[in-house]
Amino acid sequence: MWIRFKRDRTGVISAYVVAFFFLVGLLAPVIANLYGKNPYTVYADERPELFDSAGVPVQPNGGISGEFWFGLEPGNGYDVFTKLLYGIRTSLMISVAVTLATVLTGILLGVTAGYLGGRADYWISRVIDFLLAFPAQLFFIASMPVVVSLFVSPRDETPVYVRVVALILVQWFLGWMSLGRILRGTTLALREREFIDAAKVSGAPPGRIIRKEILPNVVTPILVQGTYMLPNFVTAEAGLSFLGVGIVEPTPDWGQMFAKASTELVMQNDITYMFFPGISMIVFIVAFNLLGDSVRDAFDPKTAR
Amino acid sequence: MLRFLLRRSLGAVVILFLLSIVAFLLFFGMPRDPALLMCGKTCTPANLENLHHVLGLDKPIPEQYWIFLTNLVMGSDDFAQGPCPAPCFGYSYHSNEQVWGTLMDRLPATVSLTLGGAVFFLVIGLGTGLIAAWKRGTIVDKTFTAGAMVISSMQIYFLGPLALAILVYQTHVFDKPAYNEFTENPGAWFSGLIIPWVVLSTIFASQYTRMARSSMIEQLQEEHVRTARAKGMSRRYVFLRYAWRGSLIPIVTIFGIDLGSLLGGAIITEYTFGLPGLGRLAVESVFFSDLPLLLGVMLFSATMILLCNIVVDAAYAFIDPRVRLA
Repeated sequence: MWIRFKRDRTGVISAYVVAFFFLVGLLAPVIANLYGKNPYTVYADERPELFDSAGVPVQPNGGISGEFWFGLEPGNGYDVFTKLLYGIRTSLMISVAVTLATVLTGILLGVTAGYLGGRADYWISRVIDFLLAFPAQLFFIASMPVVVSLFVSPRDETPVYVRVVALILVQWFLGWMSLGRILRGTTLALREREFIDAAKVSGAPPGRIIRKEILPNVVTPILVQGTYMLPNFVTAEAGLSFLGVGIVEPTPDWGQMFAKASTELVMQNDITYMFFPGISMIVFIVAFNLLGDSVRDAFDPKTAR
Repeated sequence: MLRFLLRRSLGAVVILFLLSIVAFLLFFGMPRDPALLMCGKTCTPANLENLHHVLGLDKPIPEQYWIFLTNLVMGSDDFAQGPCPAPCFGYSYHSNEQVWGTLMDRLPATVSLTLGGAVFFLVIGLGTGLIAAWKRGTIVDKTFTAGAMVISSMQIYFLGPLALAILVYQTHVFDKPAYNEFTENPGAWFSGLIIPWVVLSTIFASQYTRMARSSMIEQLQEEHVRTARAKGMSRRYVFLRYAWRGSLIPIVTIFGIDLGSLLGGAIITEYTFGLPGLGRLAVESVFFSDLPLLLGVMLFSATMILLCNIVVDAAYAFIDPRVRLA
């Protein structure tokens, strides 16, 4: 499996690209420190000579210079380079958390449904059907304020971690069903195999059978689905922040940079700014999707592309 | 067929009913007071009390839900704003207009965006997918596949503003996208929607390219296709009549899902281009905490999704004679 994956050149390269993004996210504070800036400094106040009266950087290409590698953000004048680093960090952190939560839920409910069968299976399957009928994006934007209001009263300032938790919660709630359904099917098939019967006959309790016999056999669909799910969560989270219900300024976030990029100020005066979040996200998503394909091919060489 | 439609519709009604309960609990059952938000900063306890009473928020939740349901089915004359015929979702907190009326006002923009976009992305997506499958392994195929891969990784919230910035704000080739009634001015309707259509369909088409290609290639390996070729039918005939038909099935499924979710409000597209559709209505109602409106959009959107699913399943029977609807 590992050997098969290593032979797939596209897969290895995209794995490096994906790893690079995670590393950047992880090391954002270190890189920013070496670079000597942080994403919270309002350069429009600190260095007003760099901006014109509308808040657009004076220098061409969005104020790109040796000092500000990716330029300055129109409006408040944040440093784009560090903002992007921290934005990637926020988005990836949230998406990884959502992926972990959905995978755990998917395993728990999917394997339970498949292994126990009968009534448990029936009800879990109905819940999956029901949740799949939800208008997901609409549900996300509608429930974000509600979930936030569970933690803080509407009159108070919402702390950042509450928004992060709320984002994770709503995406998790409607994110686990596809994996759950797949795991149910796989477990259902596994249950009929001889080695499970053998384990049962030898007196193993159900918990042990699930842990020692079933789980090792469903690692493949989990990994494959996981690599498909994570980029989706990244774009969904960015979409929410773009609409203004996710992470809001001044906390840096990938999606919120897109929101900034779609303001009239930027579209009119500073097209360069758009490309930093845009291109970086395309590279990340393409690499992750290619990685997903390679992982699937490595685990399951029979399916042709 | 009739029995199938009946059974599926009943199932959809059950799901909608459950969804309405969940949504209602989510919006009205949470420890968040919509009246407090409406009341504003200069709120006295007496005002608040009065608002609660007017909005019916002083009643217990199950009773509120029951009132909501009966209003929905039978209509109601109890609203302070005036009568509200069935299907009555009540009156918006923010604009004081009937929710159902607002939904119907916003529907044409969403339908225009969806159907126009769907024509574009089906033609482009399926076309390029077929060509890629026909020329499998050549440079054409590789270009299309790689292009589709990259484009499908783009997001509307990147491509949309980029198109706006280049075409509208920098070069002034187009006017800002806007929605005009088709019946009043078809030309303005078309030119106002062309950028949203193109952006929406670029991203969707790339997914259909990939799907059509892989589905076609899969079909071409089927035995009946090989038999037809062996019998001496031309490659083109087999390709278009045999494999094409079989490859439609997975595409129809995805198309149904896409169409349903777009009709229920293409949220990000409408928000990006400022089109007055259902998706934008949803975002607005979230910002104003306009719960009746939000509940209305949500149920309407879910109805669209379920409806499209049923239509898709029924359409199978026409495409694939092996499918029995039972």
